[in-house]
Amino acid sequence: MAHLSDGALRLRFDDPEAQSADARHYESCPECQARYKTVAGDASLITSLLATPDVKVDVASAFDRVRSAPAAQPRFGFRLPVLQPGRRPLVLAFATTLAAVALLATALASGDNIFSPKTITPVPVTVADLESLSQLGAYGDLTWTTRPNLQIAASASEAQSISGLKPPSVATLPTGVSSTVTYAAMPKATAVFTFSKDKAAAAAAQAGKPLPALPAGMDGAQLTVTVGPAVAAIYGNLNKPSSGSDLTQANLPQLIVAESSAPVATSTQVSVRQLEDYILTVPGISPQLAAAIKAIGDPSTTLPVPVPIEFGTATRVQVQGVDAVALGDNTGVGSGVIWIKNGVIYGVIGTIKQSDAIEIANHLT
Amino acid sequence: MGANLGVRRVATVRPDDEAFEALFTAEYARVAGIANRVLADPHEAEDVAQEVFIDFHRLHSASAQYARAWLHRAAAHAALNRLRGSRRRQRREVAQAAEDSTQSIDPQKQVEINEDRRQVRQALARMAPKPAAVLVLRASGLSYAEVAQALGVGTGQVGTLLRRAEITLRKEVRRGSFI
Repeated sequence: MAHLSDGALRLRFDDPEAQSADARHYESCPECQARYKTVAGDASLITSLLATPDVKVDVASAFDRVRSAPAAQPRFGFRLPVLQPGRRPLVLAFATTLAAVALLATALASGDNIFSPKTITPVPVTVADLESLSQLGAYGDLTWTTRPNLQIAASASEAQSISGLKPPSVATLPTGVSSTVTYAAMPKATAVFTFSKDKAAAAAAQAGKPLPALPAGMDGAQLTVTVGPAVAAIYGNLNKPSSGSDLTQANLPQLIVAESSAPVATSTQVSVRQLEDYILTVPGISPQLAAAIKAIGDPSTTLPVPVPIEFGTATRVQVQGVDAVALGDNTGVGSGVIWIKNGVIYGVIGTIKQSDAIEIANHLT
Repeated sequence: MGANLGVRRVATVRPDDEAFEALFTAEYARVAGIANRVLADPHEAEDVAQEVFIDFHRLHSASAQYARAWLHRAAAHAALNRLRGSRRRQRREVAQAAEDSTQSIDPQKQVEINEDRRQVRQALARMAPKPAAVLVLRASGLSYAEVAQALGVGTGQVGTLLRRAEITLRKEVRRGSFI
């Protein structure tokens, strides 16, 4: 048998009974015994140098202090720095855009088929349009069977263990973008939305609008939507504090590269066409948005990306051989690109040129 | 758990609040101990421990499988980061010397102990985070399996990492003096 490794000798210091095969070799090997004396001597010395008296703690008082700490953000939620109010409206618009994707995905879920988008298409909207879409939430009950739990991860491997997805890695960062990277990850989350005729009537009455006629079967129809898992690499010096997880005082990131399993939705009782027609009758949706949504080819396989027309332009581009939507421009103020490949949605967004975003997207690993 | 701590509860208690309280009660002393192993300052160690729990509570579920490992790693790294702050370190050394001077042991021996402590912690501060954390976590009584979970390595690697870290620490200490 070969001589014991340094690691095995170090383990022997802590646990002399460990690894019986090693023990047999050790007993008959003067060389290993000599090396062990050095290893054990170092271990003993360093253990004594690092020795400190036990801390006498008052757990109850400490718990009170922790509980009374200011809640600077949702206790179990996660607020990306891009959502800080009043800063970088373009980036904020992108964040709003992404948040609206799940809503539209829900809205366009197919009745008989699983909604599983394979391609992506831009839909120009106003902020008012997005707000009007949010009214859909008042037309039923939303319950999470698995709540979204977006977390900061200490490393890429931890992000992968949380999400099951390998964090995207940028081959070459654009000039000026910090290589400091923070990872965020989210396991899969599932929500069930149940349409309610009574709630819809109440919502319409509150808005002073007539209730859009509900298609047969709409009352009680359920949509089950699964989003994620998702993982993101966030580049930039975020001024992380000592423990590396509190982003409340963070700077804006320069670049976010994210990937998420495409949302999957199933519905009961109503068809995709009925749903689509119904959504377009919700009070407040502009004729332009209605026309854009109607223009989508196959809503069961197309993920509409709402693009606020006040903030940016959207163009169709090719990324990694598939259709993608590019947002923003080449001024460097802000841009992004979103695409779907093999059932995964990818996004590259940051205060970079659009050409840089597309370059990153094409070389993402 | 709440009764043990005598903590008054608000009207609605979410399941994760209870899990967090249980986690806090089980791990607070250990987290503070890890920080104290680095800082050799119980008050500052408790500050670090509480910051670690606050950060954890804001961003993670106490029911997460990785909760304890996260706390252990965060305690080591947060304390090491503090140790690297030179102004804090100087204040701590002054405070520690004053505290030690009140103890009734051979003054010459005490000087030597103080010097060893100072040098080893300066050396820790100069080490890379991972080997420094290996030493601190093991010295704090974590098992090989717990050290492995905290640092995201295999249990079989811990002995090797420890040995390398001890060699590195000795070299770092020698840069200032001799062990």
